[in-house]
Parts: sequence; structure tokens; C-alpha cells
Amino acid sequence: MPTLLELQTAMQASLVHRDNEAVSAMLARHITPDRLDIYRNTIVHSLTKALRLSFPVTERLVGEEFFEGAAQFFIAEHPPREAWLDRFGDEFSDFLRSFPQAKSIVYLGDVAELEWAVNGALHAADVAQLDVAALGAVKPEDQSRICFVAHPSVSLLRLAYPVDAIWRAVLARDDEALGKIDIESGLVNLLVERRETGIEVERLDEQSWLFLSNLCAGQPIEAALDTAGHFDCSVVLAEHLALGRFCRFELAAPGTSGFSNSTAA
Amino acid sequence: MRPPNISGTSLIPEKAGIGLRFQHHQVMLDTRPDVAWMEVHTENYMGGGTPLRYLDAIRRDTPISLHGVGLSLGSAEGIDPAHLERIRMVAERIEPGLMSEHIAWNVVGGTYLADLLPLPMTEEALEVVCRHVDQTQTYLKRRILVENPSIYVAFGSSIIPEWEFMIAVAASTGCGILCDVNNICVNAHNHGWDASAYIAALPSEAVGEIHLAGHSIKALSDGSTLRVDDHGSRVSEEVWRLYQEALARFGAVPTLIEWDNEIPPLEVLLQEADHAAGFIASAEGARHADAA
Repeated sequence: MPTLLELQTAMQASLVHRDNEAVSAMLARHITPDRLDIYRNTIVHSLTKALRLSFPVTERLVGEEFFEGAAQFFIAEHPPREAWLDRFGDEFSDFLRSFPQAKSIVYLGDVAELEWAVNGALHAADVAQLDVAALGAVKPEDQSRICFVAHPSVSLLRLAYPVDAIWRAVLARDDEALGKIDIESGLVNLLVERRETGIEVERLDEQSWLFLSNLCAGQPIEAALDTAGHFDCSVVLAEHLALGRFCRFELAAPGTSGFSNSTAA
Repeated sequence: MRPPNISGTSLIPEKAGIGLRFQHHQVMLDTRPDVAWMEVHTENYMGGGTPLRYLDAIRRDTPISLHGVGLSLGSAEGIDPAHLERIRMVAERIEPGLMSEHIAWNVVGGTYLADLLPLPMTEEALEVVCRHVDQTQTYLKRRILVENPSIYVAFGSSIIPEWEFMIAVAASTGCGILCDVNNICVNAHNHGWDASAYIAALPSEAVGEIHLAGHSIKALSDGSTLRVDDHGSRVSEEVWRLYQEALARFGAVPTLIEWDNEIPPLEVLLQEADHAAGFIASAEGARHADAA
């Protein structure tokens, strides 16, 4: 008699990899393995639906049938690791970049990466934004040591194609705008976030993007400015604070380069 | 251990409610229909953002039950503590009147198989499920209900009748039973059981909720048919009849109309809930007549 783990491992082999060898011997005599198709179909259907919800623009660019086919390959290669399907699909953009059948749509992986950031912003935890009054209590000589913790809805992307314009045009079903986009116009630096009013995708200039990326990585203000190339950061910093892009701050120990968000968050 | 029945359980009235799906978020707020209570899939409200905001708003007028699909109480390798914590966080925010999960599994080897998969009805599976129900109730500090599954296969190693498995889990852990009448109907057809005998075997005092849904009939290549619990249509006449048997046995129990595929307008769900409410009222009337 198989143990429960042996049975579950055999079911997984059948449902994910279509390998019925082990499970066949565990089913009751009158049950043929094709009965497992019902479970397999439900799994593929649920996971495809989850991808469709997270990547609607990607789907519109390739069409429903192609998307379903790509989803099936993706599901077999990267099945979800947890029972929280809002977070299923983080490898989809890289998968599409190396998916031979999608090679002609050079920007497809970038579109998917943007959609994944949008999805992350949609479902990010509800966290209170930084209390700006608390910042005012920091002594002027300590201000350069302020390190921020980014709001969980914020992501910063640097992508090879103008996918923000593509994303907007496809969502608006504006074929004319889509036709006018110059695919080869070069790198875009994007900020994706959830505001009170909804999801925003904003294009930033190189310096502002670098500065915010450094801050979101936990660098103190001074260090973040050093690598971004010195510029008057007061206006952008005020905007970041006003729009709630940070949820808290700490002071780095003097002479250090800040903390790592992965340990402090 | 037997966790105490928390007072919050009484928040879900012994009336007919409906499953809340995203399609109906806005119309719920716009029209504020008279719904006794609603149930959501816990996994759809993890994290933050818009879905939780809708649920917060609907929650103000309507008691909510949290129904999980991903805890995998039957996993041989244990339940995912991170998932259990996410469930706890949703519960902390929503303060549900009831919380439930399934006699099923869907996680193995770090992979989530996105369906409710069947367990072999063995002593080992029973021990695993009871351990995980205990763990869940201890962690959440409240009683949960566990739902009887719909099953399309059978395992050679199964030796415990499914209803006895359900009874044993409730007896051992103090959890309640979520009696899905449609699943009993589906399984009775698929495995040649007696649906009425299944209902009659369940302990009334443990049944804390009933689920009703539609199912479809699928023709198999060998000429036989299989009932598929697809929640994509109205409740069948046969399930309504079994529901009346369940009410006669269990008394008035919170009853949920579930619909997950080809979701109709909210009015259709409200009609189905009204239909169930009629049966609850007759069952209560019959009981009062008996008492008098």
C-alpha cells in the first residue's frame, strides 16, 4: 500500500507531467487514469485564468489561442509554489523572452514584466505611508543618513522597449496610438505604483529613476544622490513623500552605506 | 484538543447566503441587496488593494464567511505556515463569522496543484488531516468547518467510507462539518453510494453550514457518465430534494449558494438563495409543529 506521500507524488507526476505510471497502480481497479483528466483540466484552466488576469495586455498582443498555448508550456515548466495565485506568474516575462514561438514580438517579455509590476502594485499589502511629520524631527546634520523603506506597491523597471506606451494603447484599444509607437526609441525607466486613485505607470528621467531606485534599495539620501549624479533632489523627494512612495525610514549609522531592505523590511 | 466555540460563529445567521465573486463587488455596493450573509474564497483577498476594500465595505452590512481552498489539510508534507499566516491576516481584518476548508490536498513537493485533490480514505490520511485541523484551529484560535469533497477517482488503498472519515475528523478535532449536499449527490452517482444514507450518517450537532451548487453530467468514452461539480449552473432538483432531507435532519443551518463558472447576474444567485430560504422556513415550521 502506498504511503500518502507516495500517492501525492504520483498524482503530481500525472497531473503536471502526464506520467501515469506510478498513479495507475494506486487507483482502484475499475478507475482508468483518464479520469484524472478532470483534475488536470481544472488545474490548467485555473492557472491559465490566473495568468490571463495578471497579463491582459500580453494576451491581447498575442491573441487568446496563442496565450493559452504559451500558458500551458509555462505551467508545466513553472507550476505555482504557493496557494496564492495573485503571485503566480513572476517568471512569465522571462519565460516569454525565451519562448521561441514568440521571438518575433521582441517587446513581449518587457510588456509582461510591466504587467507583473502592475499586478504586484494591485495586490500589494495595504501599508500606511510614511508620516512626514516624523521626518521633520530629524536633526539637519542627520538628514543625509535617512534611509527609506519603499511602499510595497512601488517598483522600478528599466526596459528596452517603450512598453508603457504599448500598455496604455492596448488597454485603451487605441490602434492608432499603437501604430505610431517607435519600437526602437530606446530604454525606458519606469515607476509603477498604486495610488489612492489607482495604478500609475510613470516614465522617469535617468537621474530621477536612479535616485529613487537607490532610495528604494535602502541607500541613505546622500549615497543615493552620489550615484545618481548630483542634482537638486528636493522637488522629487517632496513628490515621493507626498505620494506615499515610502512607508517608513531609519537613520543609517554614521559612515555606513545604509541597510539592506531585505533584512530591514 | 477541542477549541472553544467562539462567539463570532453566531454572526452567520441560519439563513440562505450567496458566494461573493469579484464580478458582483460593484453591484453589491450599488444596489445593497438584502442578503443574509456571504462567503468568499480566502485566497482571493490576500495582500491588499481593491478586492479587500470592496470586502471591507460589503462587510459593514453583511456577515462574511471565509472559505479557504489552498491550505491543503491533507498534505503528507504538512501545511504551509506562510499560507496559514496569510489566512490569519485576512481573518483579522474581516472578522468572519465562519471559517472553513476542505477534506482535500493540493500541495506536494513545493508545488501547488490548483484544484481540490482527492485523498485516499486511509488511517494515515485521517491522522494527517486531524493533525492539520488541530494545527489550524490552534493557530487561528477558533473552530473551523471542513467540507466533504467531490471525487472523480477511487484509490485501491481506501478502506474508510467517506462519511465515516468526515465524522472521525469532527470527533477527533472538535471541528465542524460543512455539508456540501451537491458533493454528496455527485459522489453518490460517481461511486454508487446512497446519498440519503450519507446525510443520515452525519452528526447533526457537528454540521455548521451547508453548500448548494450546480453540477454537470459528463459522458465518458466507455459510455458511462460522470457527475462533475463545476458550480456552473442552478442547483438541480435532485440536490434540492437532498437539501430538504439535510434540513430535516440538521435543522436550520446557514446555507450557501455557490456559483464559480459562467457566473450569472446577482439576481439569479439571489433567486436561488430565496428558494433555499423557502425550504429553511418550511423545515423550521415543521419543527415547531412537532414541538407543539
